[in-house]
Amino acid sequence: MSFKPSSAEPTGTYFSGRRTRLYSILGLAIALVAVVVLATSVGSVHIPLLTTFRILVDKLPLIDITQTWQSPLSTIILEIRLPRVILAGLVGASLATAGATYQGLFRNPLADPYLIGVAQGASLGAVVGFLLPITWQGFGFGLIPLLAFIGALVAAAVVYGLARVGKTVPVTTLILAGVALGALLGSIVSYLIISSGEDMHGIIFWLMGSFSLSQWSEVGIVLPYAVVGTAVIIIFARLLNIMQLDEEQAQQLGVSVEKIKVILLAAATLITAASVSFVGTIGFVGIIIPHAVRLIWGADHRFLLPLSVLTGAIFMILTDLVARIVLAPTEIPIGVITAICGAPFFLYLLRRRKRVIF
Amino acid sequence: MIKLEMQNVSLGYGHQPVLKDITLRAAPGEMVGLIGPNGSGKSTIIKALSRIINPSAGRILLDGRDIDRIPRRELACLVGVVPQMPLLPSTFTAFEIVLMGRNPHLGLFQSESQQDWAIAWQAMRKTATDSLANRRVNELSGGEIQCLLIARVLVQETRAILLDEPTANLDIGRQVEILDLIKKLCMESNLTVLAAVHDLNLAAQYCDRLCLINEGSVHAEGTTAEVITDKNIKQVYGAENCVYPHPVNGLPIVLLSAKRNKSDGT
Amino acid sequence: MKSKVCLLCTICLISALALSFSASCESVPESAPPSPIEVTDQLGRVVRLETAPQRIISLAPSNTEVLFALGLADRVVAVTDYCNYPPEAEAKPSIGGFSTPNMEEIVALSPDLILATSIHESKVISQLESKGLTVLALNPKTVNEVLEAILLTGKVAGVEENASELAAEMQQRIKAVTDKIASLSPEEKLKTCYVVWFSDEGLMVAGADTLQDEIIDKAGGLNIGMEVKDYASIDIETVIGLNPEVMIVGTGHGSSGNDTFDYTRTEARLRDIDARQNERIYGVDSDSATRPGPRIVDGLEQFARFIHPELFE
Repeated sequence: MSFKPSSAEPTGTYFSGRRTRLYSILGLAIALVAVVVLATSVGSVHIPLLTTFRILVDKLPLIDITQTWQSPLSTIILEIRLPRVILAGLVGASLATAGATYQGLFRNPLADPYLIGVAQGASLGAVVGFLLPITWQGFGFGLIPLLAFIGALVAAAVVYGLARVGKTVPVTTLILAGVALGALLGSIVSYLIISSGEDMHGIIFWLMGSFSLSQWSEVGIVLPYAVVGTAVIIIFARLLNIMQLDEEQAQQLGVSVEKIKVILLAAATLITAASVSFVGTIGFVGIIIPHAVRLIWGADHRFLLPLSVLTGAIFMILTDLVARIVLAPTEIPIGVITAICGAPFFLYLLRRRKRVIF
Repeated sequence: MIKLEMQNVSLGYGHQPVLKDITLRAAPGEMVGLIGPNGSGKSTIIKALSRIINPSAGRILLDGRDIDRIPRRELACLVGVVPQMPLLPSTFTAFEIVLMGRNPHLGLFQSESQQDWAIAWQAMRKTATDSLANRRVNELSGGEIQCLLIARVLVQETRAILLDEPTANLDIGRQVEILDLIKKLCMESNLTVLAAVHDLNLAAQYCDRLCLINEGSVHAEGTTAEVITDKNIKQVYGAENCVYPHPVNGLPIVLLSAKRNKSDGT
Repeated sequence: MKSKVCLLCTICLISALALSFSASCESVPESAPPSPIEVTDQLGRVVRLETAPQRIISLAPSNTEVLFALGLADRVVAVTDYCNYPPEAEAKPSIGGFSTPNMEEIVALSPDLILATSIHESKVISQLESKGLTVLALNPKTVNEVLEAILLTGKVAGVEENASELAAEMQQRIKAVTDKIASLSPEEKLKTCYVVWFSDEGLMVAGADTLQDEIIDKAGGLNIGMEVKDYASIDIETVIGLNPEVMIVGTGHGSSGNDTFDYTRTEARLRDIDARQNERIYGVDSDSATRPGPRIVDGLEQFARFIHPELFE
């Protein structure tokens, strides 16, 4: 007996729901491109839109436009704004995806990418990098991002090791270990900041998160992590759905729960660590964007994850845009903007939809 | 068709032994009932058979193969479980929950196909849950959820089915419906069925063989008539003189009567 | 008659000297030297310029002061939000804050020289260089290094004469103070500290390896903060135990107005220290006392007046 879904059948809504989400993904992808172009054409230095277009189009392969603009303008567009916008998109996508993954793995709506100590580990690494009297530059990044990345991964590994009981890692233990280690590392970071004297200013600014001074070399490093990590997570989306049942049922349905936990934890931690190492700890995105996506499009991870990627990227690019033009030439720390812009919108969604999202 | 076997299995949570030296068997086409008082270990046996818990001693075999050696996904294609009080996330619809039963047959990169949807829809029709397809799980009653779980295990298309209290929340009409369905499948498709049942009468009516578990060990095993006897009931449950023959088919039934106290006229 | 001639000659000589002095301090840019300039800046980096820079951006208030003092005001195209001295500097366009300069604005201005400091070492300088811009970093940690910074800037900008004149003038003023102090015996040096700010735990003072430590020493004081390094907090008990005879407190916008100054003069627990008993707690504009620029000499002279009023008037 073949199955022809139609809207007349009760399960018709299952399929029309899927179609809506697929169209949404397409629509958001187009919106993302538009937002990238918009963000690249606006900044504290006024550049006419047409000039921006010309500069961008000229860079496309096989197209050559005679240069009618001054060199500093193309430096601004191609070397300052574009890498910044793309990095913001990558980081926003990574944090939103990692947040959705953690929320799915822990089955906890309060989970965010920094739950198992990644942010505090990165902060500690960065502060140590600031205080060491060495400067090092290699492969396109400096000492601070390197130490931040190492710190993030070591912290996550320690938390995982602490939470392991035999062959299993109970999620509650993981959360508690993460919170405890995070608190410990956080207090060490605070102590180091207080005793850092004149370096304090730079450190605090880094900790608040910022996309200023983004460069193409940083994009080049974050991109592979973001792409591979996100791809791995999306591949396991269907299994993540099944893991929303309790672990027993998931196992009875053929899911190797422990193996998947490790894979997804590792992937989500890597993409978070890569993001945090270069731009500091930006809050709000990882926890709220997945929920907003759930409110609008539902909790099926096969759609939740790609939609989080796109929504996270668009959100981060727009908030970074606000952060740099509202009080130009001074920049507002991006963590402030994400909360100020994001929270009211999320509350609005919550009130309007009144839908069970978790 | 596969044969389920537990050989001298002992198991415990931490230092507390729950199963002591259990040996039991279930053959294809056979519906075996696990009966016994609360806390006797029935659920634990089901968890052991689906490799949720590992025994500390003894072996569990599926057609002679050690269950430990079978990869998780393959095991899920062979053995399906209807759990007792499962957590169901309220964000999924009934149809989506049932569809999850197809997971063992899907590879990592595969998604559900037309055929999978058809199988799920058919299972929901059979269990009379098709009208619930778009409802969210948190809106359903206990009985509806139970039927949904049965539909899910049907969708899993396994050779053996383990049921943990499959009819606990159902009214008598539904109880008979569901057990009729399972019995039919068992006989027609030669499935191996093991069901932990609280209700002794239902167990007696539907199961080909019974296994009476008490305090972690097998107290009695055999046909219905062999197991449900006055002596066994008294030894295990402490209730006396309750076993009577069914007026229609002669199978033993357990009937209770309240104690009458003449002095306070109740 | 002879005395009148002498007087006339002396007046002429003095006027000539004064005129030449003021002329060299006016913003008259000298002609650019034709050969490329190569120097090592104060972060150990080698900086190369083909011609003297005409469009200079300063990334720190102290650098701005150096540029203006060298008569380069016309060549300065942008400064930071915090560059408030001299007053003409505030009129210049700003490219943002201290550690967060706005890259777009900087690039749009097409500068040929950017003056940075150690704060910019970790990220900003490499960013600027990757855009093809030339950066000179000034990072003076002692008074001598301040003079070196001035000479370095003068060399790079092609105004070496202005620089050496300014440096010489500053040397003279410093010597005027240190000569008088040299005549003092060790017991006559007063226990002093420079207070940055306060909290419940104690006072944050300038410790060893700071500029203030050096000028306290040159001004005939004994820095009680030398037990700690850089800027660090000393708890109230220790302050009372060390019993400073003179306290100099930073005031002005950089140090939350007069809060710290008021605190040191009114906090009950400090009432028994010598500085309070003898009312020798002084406020000083923190910009002039702490900026590693030309005004550090003003700071030194003020400190000398505070610590040894009997020697300096």
